[in-house]
Amino acid sequence: MLKTFLIGIKDLRLAFRDRAALILMLAAPFVLTLGLGLVTGRFSNNSSGLSDIPVIIVNLDNEQLGNALADLFHSAELADLMEPTASSDPEAARQLIDQDKAAAVVIIPEGFTRSIIPAAGDRANLTTAAADPVKIEVYANPSRPTGAGIVKAIVDEFLSRVEENLISGSVSITQLLMSGRIPPDQVPTVIAHMSENLQTHTTDNALAIQMNSSTADGEAVKFDILAYLAPGMALMFLIYTVSYGGRSILAEKTQGTLPRLLISPTSPSQILGGKVFGIFLTGAAQMLILIGASSLFFQLKWGDLFGVVVLVLAAVFGATGWGMFITALARTPAQVGSVGSAIMLIFGIMGGSFISLDQMPAAVQAFSKITPNSWALDGFTTLALGGTLADLSTPILALLAMGMILFLVSVFMFGKKNLVQK
Amino acid sequence: MKKLFAIAWKDAIIRFASSSELLFFIILPIVFTFLLAGGTPSGEDDNRIRLVVVDQAHTPISQNIISELEKSTAVRPEELTLAEAESQFDARRANVVLVIPADLDLQAIQNGTAQVDFRQQPNNLNATVAERAVQTAIRRVGSAVNAANNAVKAAEKNGTFESESERQAYFDEALKSAQTLQDNAPERVTIIEGTTPDRVQYDPRASSSAGQLITWVFIPLFGISALFAYERQQGTLRRILTTPTRKATYLLGTISGQVLMALVQMSILILFGIFVMGLGWGREPVALFVLLTSAALAAGAIGTTMGTFIKTEGQASGLSIMMGMVMALMGGCWYPIELFPSVVQSIVRILPTTWAMQGMLDLVLRGGGLTQILPETGVLLGFAALFFSIGVWRFRYE
Repeated sequence: MLKTFLIGIKDLRLAFRDRAALILMLAAPFVLTLGLGLVTGRFSNNSSGLSDIPVIIVNLDNEQLGNALADLFHSAELADLMEPTASSDPEAARQLIDQDKAAAVVIIPEGFTRSIIPAAGDRANLTTAAADPVKIEVYANPSRPTGAGIVKAIVDEFLSRVEENLISGSVSITQLLMSGRIPPDQVPTVIAHMSENLQTHTTDNALAIQMNSSTADGEAVKFDILAYLAPGMALMFLIYTVSYGGRSILAEKTQGTLPRLLISPTSPSQILGGKVFGIFLTGAAQMLILIGASSLFFQLKWGDLFGVVVLVLAAVFGATGWGMFITALARTPAQVGSVGSAIMLIFGIMGGSFISLDQMPAAVQAFSKITPNSWALDGFTTLALGGTLADLSTPILALLAMGMILFLVSVFMFGKKNLVQK
Repeated sequence: MKKLFAIAWKDAIIRFASSSELLFFIILPIVFTFLLAGGTPSGEDDNRIRLVVVDQAHTPISQNIISELEKSTAVRPEELTLAEAESQFDARRANVVLVIPADLDLQAIQNGTAQVDFRQQPNNLNATVAERAVQTAIRRVGSAVNAANNAVKAAEKNGTFESESERQAYFDEALKSAQTLQDNAPERVTIIEGTTPDRVQYDPRASSSAGQLITWVFIPLFGISALFAYERQQGTLRRILTTPTRKATYLLGTISGQVLMALVQMSILILFGIFVMGLGWGREPVALFVLLTSAALAAGAIGTTMGTFIKTEGQASGLSIMMGMVMALMGGCWYPIELFPSVVQSIVRILPTTWAMQGMLDLVLRGGGLTQILPETGVLLGFAALFFSIGVWRFRYE
């Protein structure tokens, strides 16, 4: 056991003394994470969070419904979401959109309210006012489709309430008249009553389908884009590290140090165990250094500490399995190096290190399940979103199973090649 | 000339001694180009907020709600099973979940017992938006029934129904009337799209083809540094001192050989772009050749300079990969540069990858020709002149 441990520690020290290896083990993932943070705006607070959508309200109606809509955009409920400004000049407001100064302009034209709720002297038109509607204009910024879409959705929601009240009133009156429950001479009185109702209850009419809204427990979690990108890069270069470790097994044979070990009172299984332990230690050290550095320099919150540590160990175990497998397949240290680098890049792109797997074809998403990157990245994302170790059972089990299967296959292949035999 | 050819040929033999080099020369660039062409954000993606919907009812009413949600400009409904939705919600992968229970039908709405469950993460603005979109959808679906119910209530204020069947008939008549009015309801909002110039000119296939070409060609050209380090470590550079070969001849042979190989690699990737991805790379062949050659010279020059600083082949290989990847990332070869913060967009103009990428996109995306790519070509040749000068000045055999 002690011999296995010592061989592992020796390999760990050799790896961290190799400046060339350190470039790809530590410098590359760190610098690439820094670059990704810069280009995504993570360091300039320019992330694409959905808040304070600039919208210009031009209320030319200045009556009940127009005012209600304008008030809605200024309401406390939408205070975090919207950043409304008022204007009285539609053309100037449109120009601001063309200059990309806001997401949309909502122009409530003059006569909007009266096209829906007739004036007191014209109440007979309640059921026919829709024939020539006065339309609200949403002048949308095409370069801000999400913000403009949300503005449109808010206007839609307001109008759906107005329309529902209008239809409800209209149907009630028509039915009362047709059933003879009210004589025709009472219609103006009923309409007047309903118009009052429409004006005062535009914004609080109940839904026919009740909506039970519930909020999850816990604190709000704002997802940090770097919490996806940093583990993505660290995991990609973890594959380099494990293949580097695997390469050392073949290198020891080529350089003659492996035969020397074998003539000492050390069993082949102790040597192989020590080499695997060394790869595991190096990978774990690499991951923990990168996690520590990104926490320190980028203020990145990785989430539940215990969960992070266990996930790192599981990810390194899964990746070590791949390192052993690559070594078992290769004949020379150079082959391990080049195949390892290729697998690092393939697993990187197919495991979600470059772009989210959600944007990949279904076949790639299925293939990604053989990569430790995909499972570990899934676990790190869960932790960054506030999850704990209890939420990581699937990725951890997958990584452990991956490592175990690959290790057993590699040992079998090593045996066939008589790689570590006296 | 013969010496130049011999040096270039020797380098090609060293580089392709292992067949695994083909992985990096052609196979991985094609895989990356293909995957990133379909995987990078195009700016035309569905940016609406994802709303997970669990439809346990499978009734016309629930289908209508989902159909109304699909029309929303704010949310994008995605149907999942309850277990999947709860799993994603618990893992905070879903900000909002709408559950339409099994008993939601017309009768439930008429009875006033219809309800849906809306679950949201705490203090989440996306959830606030989604809540409004769901309210709009269920209001549209339920408003006719609501109007009919209100008509019945108004009737009851003005008299009583003699029987339940009379009440139901009154409701049915009102519902029919309300549905007709709803169907004929006029559009009360008009959407006009502004003329804001779109900052992001983007075609994922073109950008992926250009970006990956630059990435995978720059990395081996930076690797010229590894060639120098290798020869220096092996002592073969010193042996050249004993031959009648000038420093310039050796450098020219090594660099021109690598640049030629880069041009071959680029040609294969361009052909892949033309015949597999249907890109118009062949529209301006002269301009393309000038740009690719300038880019290759710039990258080769940087590799030459790196080779004068770096001592071992291992360090040179690692640094070439790292610098190639970082420069590609920052130069807009992986993600559109227009999406970067404006300060970063200005800073990255010091990188040759930025200029190479802009030139490539000028040709394939913006329909430019030789005249349009002259600025980019000039800057790339400037990089080449600067770094070749430093490299030649600092180059030592030992």
